[in-house]
Amino acid sequence: MENKKVDPITMQVISGALDTIAEEMGHVLYRMSFSSIIRESQDLGAGLFDRNYQTICESESTPMHIGSIPAYLRGVEKTLQDGEWYEGDVVVHNHPYYGSSHTPDLAIIIPVFYEGELVGFSANTAHHIDIGAATPGLIIDVGDVYAEGMLFAGLKLYEQGKKNAGLEKMITANSRASQQLMRDIEAQVASAQLGVMRFKKLLDKYGKDRTFTTIDQLIDYSETMLRKRIAEVPDGEYQAQGFLDDDGRNREVRLPVVVTVRVEGDSVTVDLTGSADQTPTAYNVPFEGSCKVAAFAAFRKLLLDSSKLDVPIPSNEGSFRPINVVAPEGSIFNPIFPAATEARFTQCNMMIDLIIKALAPVLPEQTIAGSSAAISFASYAGMKDDGEYWVFLEVNEGAYGGRPASDGPDAIDNLMANTRNNPIEDLGMHLPMICDRYELRDDVMPGAGKHRGGIGVVKSQRVLTPGFITHESERHYHVPWGAFGGSDGAVGKCEIYNYGARDEVANMPSKFSGYVTKANDVMAFYAPCGGGYGNPLERSPEQVREDVLDDFCTVAHAYEAYGVVLDDMLELDCLATAARRSEMGA
Amino acid sequence: MARIGVDVGGTNTDIILETFSIDSVGAGTHRHKVPSTTQDQSIGVLQGVLEVCDKAGIQRSEVGTIVHGTTVATNISIEQNGSEIGMLTTRGFRDILHIGRHKRPHNFSLHFDVPWQCKPLVKRRHRIPISERVLPPTGEVEVPLAEDEVRQAAQTFKKAGIQSVIIGFLFSFLNKQHEMRAKAIIQEEMPEAYVCCSCEVVDAMREYERFSTTAMNAYVGPKTSLYLTNLESQLKENGIDADLRIMQSNGGLATVDSCCEKPVNILMSGPASGVIGGHFFADLDGERNIITVDIGGTSADISTLTEGDIKIMNPRDSYVGGHPVMVPMIDLITIGAGGGSIAYVDEAGGFQVGPRSAGSMPGPACYNRGGQEPTVTDANILLGRLDADQMLGGDLKVDAQLSQNAIKNKIADPLGLSVEDAALGIIRIVNNNMALAIRSNSVARGVDPREFMLMPFGGAGPVHGPALAEEVNAKGVIAPPAPGITSAAGLLTTNLQYEVTRSHLCELTSISNQNFETVMGLMHDLDEEAIQKLAKDGVAPANVKLTRFAECRYHGQGFELRAEIPDGDRNRESIRRVVENFHRQHKTDYGYSYDDAEVELVTLRVVGESKSTDLAWKPLASAEGNGLDEAFMYARETVFDDGSIHSTPRYDRSKFLCGHEIPGPALVMQHDSTSLVPPGWKALVSNHGNLVITKSS
Repeated sequence: MENKKVDPITMQVISGALDTIAEEMGHVLYRMSFSSIIRESQDLGAGLFDRNYQTICESESTPMHIGSIPAYLRGVEKTLQDGEWYEGDVVVHNHPYYGSSHTPDLAIIIPVFYEGELVGFSANTAHHIDIGAATPGLIIDVGDVYAEGMLFAGLKLYEQGKKNAGLEKMITANSRASQQLMRDIEAQVASAQLGVMRFKKLLDKYGKDRTFTTIDQLIDYSETMLRKRIAEVPDGEYQAQGFLDDDGRNREVRLPVVVTVRVEGDSVTVDLTGSADQTPTAYNVPFEGSCKVAAFAAFRKLLLDSSKLDVPIPSNEGSFRPINVVAPEGSIFNPIFPAATEARFTQCNMMIDLIIKALAPVLPEQTIAGSSAAISFASYAGMKDDGEYWVFLEVNEGAYGGRPASDGPDAIDNLMANTRNNPIEDLGMHLPMICDRYELRDDVMPGAGKHRGGIGVVKSQRVLTPGFITHESERHYHVPWGAFGGSDGAVGKCEIYNYGARDEVANMPSKFSGYVTKANDVMAFYAPCGGGYGNPLERSPEQVREDVLDDFCTVAHAYEAYGVVLDDMLELDCLATAARRSEMGA
Repeated sequence: MARIGVDVGGTNTDIILETFSIDSVGAGTHRHKVPSTTQDQSIGVLQGVLEVCDKAGIQRSEVGTIVHGTTVATNISIEQNGSEIGMLTTRGFRDILHIGRHKRPHNFSLHFDVPWQCKPLVKRRHRIPISERVLPPTGEVEVPLAEDEVRQAAQTFKKAGIQSVIIGFLFSFLNKQHEMRAKAIIQEEMPEAYVCCSCEVVDAMREYERFSTTAMNAYVGPKTSLYLTNLESQLKENGIDADLRIMQSNGGLATVDSCCEKPVNILMSGPASGVIGGHFFADLDGERNIITVDIGGTSADISTLTEGDIKIMNPRDSYVGGHPVMVPMIDLITIGAGGGSIAYVDEAGGFQVGPRSAGSMPGPACYNRGGQEPTVTDANILLGRLDADQMLGGDLKVDAQLSQNAIKNKIADPLGLSVEDAALGIIRIVNNNMALAIRSNSVARGVDPREFMLMPFGGAGPVHGPALAEEVNAKGVIAPPAPGITSAAGLLTTNLQYEVTRSHLCELTSISNQNFETVMGLMHDLDEEAIQKLAKDGVAPANVKLTRFAECRYHGQGFELRAEIPDGDRNRESIRRVVENFHRQHKTDYGYSYDDAEVELVTLRVVGESKSTDLAWKPLASAEGNGLDEAFMYARETVFDDGSIHSTPRYDRSKFLCGHEIPGPALVMQHDSTSLVPPGWKALVSNHGNLVITKSS
């Protein structure tokens, strides 16, 4: 930060205030909301934006939302009802071809007027459980974007402070969970109003010019931080390829993902040319609201790792600027209207995993082995006794690849995902569902390495009423890779069986839509496990023994993968271990 | 009988002795300070207690009560040297403690730590799944408890040398039988072990938070018990046969026995005493709305008290060392900002202060212990806001030149600022960090600081008071009479207190007859339980004060807020008032309420207290027109927060009398603290010796 117009001290003061505003906005939103996808999972984002749609500050909630709102705002500009902003307007927007991240992520946007002039926006996005799509909750196997439910483009929920009762009625009439939808929208409005109020107070205190000069400098500061890190990466072109299981309909067609990272000085381009064409289902990624956002996040994780910074960098537009994203029109990362785009998460996570893989040769100490890089997004739904729908959206966790200095974390949200689970007890008390199992997988071993991969989770959910399940996940075929001598992790799987006949198991594909369930059907999800980092023979035999004691590793796996021999009492046999390890080429 | 309050801090153990007219030396208060003995706190505590008796000239046998604020449980959790724990849990759910809420601590990081995985409270090898199953929503048993598996697990634990066992089964808040039966079996098999069930430690829904709280209880339990019982017996051996009472995180006192059973309740014992102390001194002068800011070397604890009410945190928001701990704690926040916070310029030219601290080793640059980096204390010295020759009354030798060098080299030169501007910058940034924390604990919750006095204490507190008050728009500052021992004094002003809870989920707005009966029954049981607990400590039922809360939410929400249950007869009208109170609380906290939504009860909570005698803090004699001549020490140049430089008189606070008015600019000096009165402000000495510092106009 240079001393341009605003002194460094005022800058620090305003920076802290902006962070606090964004956090408060996020806080109010998830505390107030009713659906578990917002209140427990915190699948939301909130912040302030300038009149050029640049992010001024954003809450630390879910990475997929961070950085998406500017695209919504650009989309609103093209579609705004009345063509103009007025004080007191509240806009709702979710059109994926006008910047939204995907249709269930509704944005609520309130313009901030200061001394009669439009100076910016207070806005948030949140994932809603049902907006009237073809199947309850989530959708994958549908033909176009109109099957995703209600499309809002620049619509005013409030016009100059007056509620648009007709629109509210329309929304209520078009959702299977209309009460939760409307109340969650009200929570979004309360959060955005709080942002407006706080922003105006800040402008009162520091003056408009000084505040916005500071904001510009803060954005430059974040940009400078990222550019410095990019400049340290040797110029060049780096490529990695992977594939996705299928599009949710055509089961035998694998979908390639090709990521080329071009580093030039202090800028970087992520080029997705060579990736699959757009699919005939909803398994496509909105370019502006999701694809670009994922690329921004990848570099922030990789180069501005917050666990290594003394103070976090301000979360603003600056960290987006050095990154250019290219995806050919008509590809899975840049579909053409009216392709459906609701199921777009696992492609994004795969892209990030591949960016990390591509850069591994030049950034061995910053990159990690292959992660689960998927998601498990499940929608359970059925009918209550009163004939109303119940809908429950659950995000299940993944696992990380082994890392240069530590094992990959087990059973945790991965890369672009960072939500919280729904407590099993809370679920059981409120919905006709029972969780039968929730623990680490013991049917496979994670990737072996000097630092092992993270272990995936198994979660078995029993539904007590007939209904539907839709599940969006990935990596039943493409195993998370090992790095620098580490071995591959394990693929995921998904089973459905009835609680009364637990031996008759149906193996499910990673993505399926509207599966019709009977009472007491159970879906068991097994998350992929991360790959290992570094040669397994460099892991100390003592550490391997510790893993065996904790059942993170079997005695057989210790022998096979690590060359570690344990006796019946699980004591280390040093001589036999040395012999086995030398046989394995240590 | 005399009473002693003894508060252990990171650097010093502060002691206050209160004697009464029947004691040999007559009524009065005596203060003392000894270095904390971090290896074993009880050494410093014992030394301090014995020395303060000698200093005051009383017999050890005259001490009737000792109230203790301790960081012993906190330190076990920070230093991670608690017990090895064995856990029995429901089969199929071995890793609830390993998975947590499956959210990463960092959004943008690949190399983050996951504290609950890499430093687990219970190692995976010691988490043994047991066949049993209780089902929601009624608590019916689907799979009976496999008692043989429990016995086998006990043998496994014994072989592993485990002495501390927890039992955490799913849905135990609906049906406790399995947990209690498993406990009984473990106690048969392992009679020496420390055993607790999740339903005993916290009877509430949400498995991860409940298990984690239970694990934390068992983790700190054995060592904390040992410390407390050992301290009790050492005091006895040294002729002090006093009742030992411990400050709990919720600001109430508990007996040693009770703390041994639930040590998880004293994790925030230390900071709680500060809030209680601040409350006490403000209350002496009738100040009901205060924000306490307890500033130490490395951190500051901040709490907001509205209408004299000490707010208890939503147990859902309580974390210790990254682990959720669902027990009542005073609503306070701790941030890494204190006298020792280090100022530096980061690689992109950003000017930062803290959270890294120089601690006491090497300490601020001016301590001349090898510290090269400038701290907040260095900035205060350089600006003449702390006098180098008066630190701890001159006992602490510091070198102002070293402050100057550190600020010049590390801040002023790299940023192209003058040394003075750099020092002012350090103060402004650290104040701003504290101000943001104050706001998040006040404004962010609907509290308007313009109606509040800011109360800074801890040795380093009062010098930052006016700037902080200005920054958060508080109406003024109260510097308590003895900033350094405010926490210790707080120990002598609070009550025996226990909280009891029951989880019961049901609609309140449209409560059914059956639920109405159940809730009435539970409230009655909880009252009895609270009264019983106090009776065990010798409190007569007539002296028990009960406060009742319903922790509620709108049906479908995930977070509860507290609604007070009115005193008096309990009937359908009281339920209606709870619903009303909830709507109001929701509006206060979030700026919105869903008036047509169903209100759902989640947890009932009853707080039982027994009033103790408050510390008698003597009023000062009246100044009666006497001037400040006697208190005047000398004048020196001081730089104030706005950058202005003034020749500023120093006054000896011990010479102040009630009604003295000190015009700014001035510095008010006492042994372990300096209070700042900026130009354009004035300080008024209150009846009880508080310094009330406000703007003059």
